[in-house]
Amino acid sequence: MVLSKNSGGHRGMQESMYSVIALVFILVACVELCDAAAAIDVYRLIQYDMSGSAYGSRFAVLNHHAAALHFPPGADLSRAVLIIPLRELNITFVREYINQKKPLGGLLFLLPDIFSFENGGNKQVHEKEKLKNLLAELEQLLIHANIPYPVYFAFENDEIDTVLADIKKNDAIGQPATATTGGYKLVIPTPEPKKVASPTITNIQGWLSGLKVDGDTNQLPTIAIVASYDTFGAAPALSVGSDSNGSGVVALLEIARLFSLLYSNPKTRGRYNLLFGLTSGGPYNYNGTQKWLRSFDQRLRESIDYAICLNSIGSWDNELWIHVSKPPENAYIKQIFEGFSNVAEELHIKVGLKHKKINISNPRVAWEHEQFSRLRVTAATLSEISTAPELLQGTGGLFDSRQFVNETAITRGVKLVAESLARHIYGHQGKNVQIFADGGSLAVNPAYIQSWLDLLSQTPRVAPFLSKNDPFVMALQKELADHTDEVNMQHEVLEGVFTFYDSTSARLNIYQVASVTFDLLLLLVLGSYLIVLFSFLVITTRGLDDLISLFRRPPSRKVKTA
Amino acid sequence: MTMFHFFNCAILTFGPHAVYYSATPLSEYDTLGTSVKAALVYLGTALVKLVCLATFLQVSENDGFDPYQELLKALIGFIDVAGLYFALTQLTHRNISQNHKFQAVGLGWAFADSVLHRLAPLWVGARGLEFTWDYILQGLEANANLVLSISLAALGSLIWLRKNKPKTLIPIIYACAGIVATMPSITSYLRRGLGWHFPKVVGFELFTSLVMAFISWQLFSACQRPYV
Repeated sequence: MVLSKNSGGHRGMQESMYSVIALVFILVACVELCDAAAAIDVYRLIQYDMSGSAYGSRFAVLNHHAAALHFPPGADLSRAVLIIPLRELNITFVREYINQKKPLGGLLFLLPDIFSFENGGNKQVHEKEKLKNLLAELEQLLIHANIPYPVYFAFENDEIDTVLADIKKNDAIGQPATATTGGYKLVIPTPEPKKVASPTITNIQGWLSGLKVDGDTNQLPTIAIVASYDTFGAAPALSVGSDSNGSGVVALLEIARLFSLLYSNPKTRGRYNLLFGLTSGGPYNYNGTQKWLRSFDQRLRESIDYAICLNSIGSWDNELWIHVSKPPENAYIKQIFEGFSNVAEELHIKVGLKHKKINISNPRVAWEHEQFSRLRVTAATLSEISTAPELLQGTGGLFDSRQFVNETAITRGVKLVAESLARHIYGHQGKNVQIFADGGSLAVNPAYIQSWLDLLSQTPRVAPFLSKNDPFVMALQKELADHTDEVNMQHEVLEGVFTFYDSTSARLNIYQVASVTFDLLLLLVLGSYLIVLFSFLVITTRGLDDLISLFRRPPSRKVKTA
Repeated sequence: MTMFHFFNCAILTFGPHAVYYSATPLSEYDTLGTSVKAALVYLGTALVKLVCLATFLQVSENDGFDPYQELLKALIGFIDVAGLYFALTQLTHRNISQNHKFQAVGLGWAFADSVLHRLAPLWVGARGLEFTWDYILQGLEANANLVLSISLAALGSLIWLRKNKPKTLIPIIYACAGIVATMPSITSYLRRGLGWHFPKVVGFELFTSLVMAFISWQLFSACQRPYV
């Protein structure tokens, strides 16, 4: 009976052993759970090639210790990530580091919350302008440098602030973080960045037909209103470009809305066709605009009376500029400028005229109207900027957030353009007629402007990362379709000079790690504890003699035979 | 380093059991079978407790101390005692003296408890990059638990296996057994009701386990003494 009980017990034991082994295998196969001190969203510096030269941050994966500014001089930072809040940024220090190609594990810039488009809102911050200029300078530095380590941007929040304070405290004690002294480890597990294959640029055009009188076979003249909607900045996932050129897009949509109201009634339809163009590829010498114009029918191109391009009209006080490439003495230019000046006077806006000759051999296109002028179409750009921007400058970067744009400025700009156009279309030049008067049914709608501006300020719009069917592009198309008769989309490939790489945002895990020396010490302590425990138990249960006998070799049991 | 830390915490949690087995005469008398059987009884007890908890206990939203729920948990905790009784009395052991029987049972009991409650968190957590003191504290807790289990087994063997005990000591034995059996409820009260932090709770556990071990040792040797 005892035997059967034993065998039964054995079988039971075997089964439970199997289940335990199975459990162990499951646990071993478990993926290491992520148990970080903090996990925040970070956005990578753009990586691109221009004419074969590499720019931006060339790496994405990060797995190094964290360090703060005021590290001990002479410390080796080639395996450390410097965390720099924008408020404490010393631009000469960063410039020196980058230009002298000093080795560094990585850079993490912490931006104040006001630049965040999620909760930037309307916070009043000390020295907003100073931070904005500093950030602009930093951006220009980073965009034009070739940086062989990862550079990321993140927004300040409580978690990372505590981590940074801790790191600073440790640094103050004088211990740089290395593999043996503990500290914080920053890990970003992201795949290597790959080239964006065939980046597309999408131009959206809306056509509003004018009134054709019966018997008139000539083509009606056309007026074009154009704005480029894409951006370029240091962090493509954050480049919302509220002013450059979100303000232009919003103004164009509002003008389209107003004229669609006018044109809906045949009695008030003008004798001009209106062509609204939302172009892409703006930062890259207005590549998209050039392709768009090249796709036009020759007759259509010749029928364009003039084109007004809108570029950054969101943060001006009293002065706007009209930039032209034809000399100011030109009759058409004079006409346009006078029309604008008359309206501007009534609205208490000062409008200046700036002339910049175009050099056909120079590929640099600073203003959108220059693409029109190269194809012999009269055009002008309305902007708050007085001097022509350089390549990749003023294209809606990190600092260009909702905070710095003023809806009333856009509203006034819309009024200026709409009135000037209407007076030209209906032949009321010089007359003091308010077509889009406030309070009337054709008044400029500030709520419309504000809601579209808010949407644009939350949508990063770097062209290579906007797919053909991106929801935002579809939204623009739908909106333009609401206000115009016919909408066309033109998809082109941004080839040539620029190549882009993906991996624009990631999740950063911050781990608090203990050093190897700590674990070695722990091993020592545990070893001695177990030895003490062992000796204690042996002594109390078996006696001291047994303990000593454990260490003495057993005497040889050879019995010597006599 | 993280596997290293896992290794450190593992030897802190499971090392003392192995050391206890090899250091005391248990290894000489080959009482491994007893310990394994006790471990299995613990597994069974844990399963029964789980079912009871699931049936009778309500999940509370906040982490506060609910006296009624804690009373219920304490009552269910007595299933532990029943399991220990079963392990001590009902299982057939090889011919080992009572002295070693309770040690073997207590050891097996504590080892199963450590494996069930501490191995999984250790494997999943201590291998990660993030460092916390929790696993070291957990290991110390396992040590305290070992001492407590052995004391409980000693008192249990006194209560159930030894027929002739000095009359005066009986109430003390029962009182001590009661205290040791309700240790889990006491610690959870300290953690939830008084809001003590983990290190403090572990310190308290270590201290009380040593005290209870000393008391039960004295009781056991008092009962060993042949009396008139």
